[in-house]
Amino acid sequence: MNTHNFYFLGAIGIFLGALLLVAGYYYFQSRRRSSPANWEDLFAKLTWIDRNNIAEVALNLVDESGQPKAADDAGGMELSQMWKLIGGLDGLEVLERNSDVLIDLAFYVQQWYPEALAIAERLRLDARELKWHVARLQGAAQKGNLQVSFPFYAQRAVVSYYRMTRNLLSLYEAGNFSMLADLQRAL
Amino acid sequence: MHLTDLDLLFWAAGFLENLGLLFVLWYRRRARSFPFFTALITLIVIKTVVLYFVLHYGSKDSYFYTYWSLTVLDTTLQLCVVYEIASRVFKPLDVWADDVRSSYAWLLGLSLCIAFGLTWLASPPARTWMQAFATKGNLFAAVLQSELFVAMMALSMDARLPWRTHVAKIAQGLGAYSLLGVLIETGHSYFGVGRQLPGFLILSHIRMAAYLVCVNYWIINLWRAERPARIMTSEMREKMFALQTLVEYDLQDLRSRKKL
Repeated sequence: MNTHNFYFLGAIGIFLGALLLVAGYYYFQSRRRSSPANWEDLFAKLTWIDRNNIAEVALNLVDESGQPKAADDAGGMELSQMWKLIGGLDGLEVLERNSDVLIDLAFYVQQWYPEALAIAERLRLDARELKWHVARLQGAAQKGNLQVSFPFYAQRAVVSYYRMTRNLLSLYEAGNFSMLADLQRAL
Repeated sequence: MHLTDLDLLFWAAGFLENLGLLFVLWYRRRARSFPFFTALITLIVIKTVVLYFVLHYGSKDSYFYTYWSLTVLDTTLQLCVVYEIASRVFKPLDVWADDVRSSYAWLLGLSLCIAFGLTWLASPPARTWMQAFATKGNLFAAVLQSELFVAMMALSMDARLPWRTHVAKIAQGLGAYSLLGVLIETGHSYFGVGRQLPGFLILSHIRMAAYLVCVNYWIINLWRAERPARIMTSEMREKMFALQTLVEYDLQDLRSRKKL
């Protein structure tokens, strides 16, 4: 075997090994996530959040329909007040975890309610946006400038969560599902 | 060109099984959902027939050019099938999902770079430049396809986009086949191509056997019914649009909260 072939076979070996590792990792991830779960199991994963606080922070930036407020009306909440209402970075992480569960809930409904696709897609996009905000806050915390970043990102993260929960509730309401009361209490 | 009994057996089995798959695609009305995949299987059937007649009634050169022309078309259609699968997964609402568009483009670029790199490293012992080009082309296509299937799987899991049953089954079959294809094309690049080489024959038989397994897998799974479709009719889309714009619950909720 000449040197050129040695490099070629080595590169192919590394390539296939990496590809199989990635494929295996995501395959088992998908198997784990697609394990049969019912409404109660998914619902139990939600962490209780004071929705009045969420709404108070969110409505500081958007109106009741979820549309951004005019620049003059938006913002203005004190940092300490916002921090208290949201529960700090831990509170945001709870929001992030809940958003994952909300998507699972939406997927659960999709199995027998195909119209849920649009709402589920909106929820998924909102949840990813929320994660993005939380990741920025975590990055800011590591660099020690959380005080500066928090109002900007936290409020937007809460708004994302608020919109997402409204979407899910409207979905369940439109479907006349019996579990709506449970969902309303939790969200 | 002399064909052994095993060659003829694989050839006949492949032809009949592809016909069976085409029957399933049309009879079970999957062809409309997967036009590129149906076109690919149709091409493979046509390719088998054409090559059989060219082999018996044509010259060695005409077989060579027919084989490689159809192989280029075959590879192009395989890449179209990759696009077809990606569009089914990453376009849940008939448009590319916002959050995966850039990631997919980035992964596509990376996959192309890796495929080019590995192809550049290969130096197949070929007699003609065309043979070398074809061997490298096959390696490039196999590497690119296997990368794209794994990238799609990773990206959809990361973005939490679901796969519909039939899309997943087609992707699993093609993904596994393309991964094996990388190994086989690596063998071709190392040992060379030509029916006089024992290594080439063994690899060809392995490829044919793997393909037959894939076709059986597709026949069984595409025959089976899928879970309720998520592709929306215009009526459903309007309904969902109305749902999205309905903020009645939001208003009721907020009004009741104001009363508290």
